[in-house]
Amino acid sequence: MIASDLLDVPVHDEAGAHLGWVVDLRFVLDGAPDTFLARARLHALVVSPRTRTSFMGFERSSVRHPWPVAPILRWWHRGTFLVHWPDVARVPDPDAGAGPEDTAAIVLRAEFTAYEPGL
Amino acid sequence: MRRTRTGPRDVSREPEPRQPGRVLDARLHLLDRQVLDVDGMPVCTLDDLELEAVDGRSAVDERIDGSVPVVITDLLTGPVLGTRVFGGRPPASRWHRLPWAHVVDIGTAVRLSVRSGDLDATWLERWTRDHIIGRIPGGNHDPESSG
Repeated sequence: MIASDLLDVPVHDEAGAHLGWVVDLRFVLDGAPDTFLARARLHALVVSPRTRTSFMGFERSSVRHPWPVAPILRWWHRGTFLVHWPDVARVPDPDAGAGPEDTAAIVLRAEFTAYEPGL
Repeated sequence: MRRTRTGPRDVSREPEPRQPGRVLDARLHLLDRQVLDVDGMPVCTLDDLELEAVDGRSAVDERIDGSVPVVITDLLTGPVLGTRVFGGRPPASRWHRLPWAHVVDIGTAVRLSVRSGDLDATWLERWTRDHIIGRIPGGNHDPESSG
């Protein structure tokens, strides 16, 4: 699996309701030391309910400038949330090609928790 | 089955717990960054990341989902211009892999602990040097000072 298999993919809840798109993947370097850096564990998916991508991550940072770019982008990406990787119930098969939209979506578990996406 | 969608739906969000290690977002901190070797020479740009389950399970054998931890095993570089314009992804055999174990530091660039000449990712540069640039008169030595 490569990162592009997860990025830009629609995200549905268990009932099939559309929640957004994966705009980024969050990793945490807390794995076993791997020579120089710790292993980078896939911690969460950053999901935006309104846009398929993110521009420079203004919605995840405390940067407020340049005005009005930062406020506009922050408003555009409002509602962005973080879903931890263990809350992912199903990932689409990257080799299946373009299929029905329901099978080409990441499905979350019923009791998933959404978190603030701030870095 | 037709999916149900009634427009963007904001879900309630809880504060994210503090993580025990450094936090990196793939698009913000890794993808499209320049990769430098141990001498600071450019190697490539970081086009993608290879992910693998920590138990060794690969996506080819079995589906990976949230039930198993996943880590970055390799940085990938390859012919992505066409797939970024037209969609899809290059075949797995076309990727050049730079093991995560070679990564020393991640900042404005990704720094490796190896020399670029030892990497498959720079074969085209070496081939061009040996077969094209080297055959141009004066192309196989450093320029002399003009005084």
